[in-house]
Amino acid sequence: MEWIVFFETWIWLGFAACGFAILFNVPPRTLWVIFIMGALGGTVKLICLKLGVNIILSSLMGALLIGFLSIRGAHLRHSPPFVFAIPAVIPMVPGAFTYRMMLGIIHLTGENDHAVFLQLLQETVDNGLKAFFVLSALSLGVSAPMLLSRNKSIKETKPNKFLNKLFDSKKASD
Amino acid sequence: MVLSEKEKINELCKILLEVGALLMETGANTFRIRVTVMRIASAFGYHAELLITHRALMLTINNEESDQFFSRLMQTSAHRVNFKIVSGLSRMSWHIIEEKWDLEMVRHEIDRLKSVPHYPRIVTLLMVALAGASFCRIFGGEAIEMLIAFVATFVGLFVRQEVTKREFNPYLCIFLAAFVSAMISGAAVNLHISSNPEYAFATSVLYLIPGIPLINSLLDLLDGNIINGVVRGLNGLIIAFSIALGLLGAILIYNI
Repeated sequence: MEWIVFFETWIWLGFAACGFAILFNVPPRTLWVIFIMGALGGTVKLICLKLGVNIILSSLMGALLIGFLSIRGAHLRHSPPFVFAIPAVIPMVPGAFTYRMMLGIIHLTGENDHAVFLQLLQETVDNGLKAFFVLSALSLGVSAPMLLSRNKSIKETKPNKFLNKLFDSKKASD
Repeated sequence: MVLSEKEKINELCKILLEVGALLMETGANTFRIRVTVMRIASAFGYHAELLITHRALMLTINNEESDQFFSRLMQTSAHRVNFKIVSGLSRMSWHIIEEKWDLEMVRHEIDRLKSVPHYPRIVTLLMVALAGASFCRIFGGEAIEMLIAFVATFVGLFVRQEVTKREFNPYLCIFLAAFVSAMISGAAVNLHISSNPEYAFATSVLYLIPGIPLINSLLDLLDGNIINGVVRGLNGLIIAFSIALGLLGAILIYNI
């Protein structure tokens, strides 16, 4: 039963990534890669969350996976890596935290009671900080391969042997 | 057509600036713009220096043999994300190096890329609405909430496209879209249609989140382009603020 739920989430994550990909007008040849990357990244984040890792680290893990996969995608589909990476991380953007932070700020402006104000302020700052750090973790994860390779362009780097082995089957199916 | 040296530098300069400005408008980060422009310049045997800002680009190219300099400025027009152009320009820069394209071919390719059509409007609307419903599902919504999020996203994005077409202020466009979406999903909260209508309310404006400005902002900051990073980050924050204002309108009207 749990696996069915898991697979269902997988599909929704993929659709969310694809919707944004189309909003950003990516080339059609990259769409299915983005679907898979978005689903995989989101799944890694959900698994980490289930294992008890906090939300910031989980997001970093998911984004790191997407970052490295995007390099592979760039070789495979001849587009710059971030064309894959940005739509794929969008489903992980901390929408709920940002929403609660905005709502908190809106309520704060109309609050006069001291005790309630402090309570609200605490929640708002908590949500805001989480949103900020999750967002930083996402961009750090996406740009990690570029920071690590220190190369002029991804196309000049030779794909790693390990990654090559990992993706050989994928290439053959192309 | 044979160009003289001076005409050639002039044309190259124009092309380089157009490539840079297009990349800036369509959502590439500063590092990518610099690399692409310098790559094309070096393929034609020139050295390029760039000053990249949000609203204008400045370029100086020089030929080391003749020690001549040539400078030019170009403004960017309204920013509109389009990864087809980013991807196409990046591909083009490799073709230029590997297949030794001349300036005329580059000019043709740029014109072709600019006229490549978007996805059909109905496809964009449906897919983004589906993404909104997916978000709702991921946050824990049921079928009814997903349907509400779908409709709210669909209508909101339609409004945004219409208002953008009429060239309103970009932040006003986002405010209006957020307001319309929040009014639709807020009606569900107000009428107690389902058990957890808050999920639909929270996710119906997610298609507006400034993902590209914020991620590009951090990429630029990490890369040392501090000013561009700050500008993009601030732009993202104003967009987030516009969304919050749209939500606020609906919250005040429905008294949620």
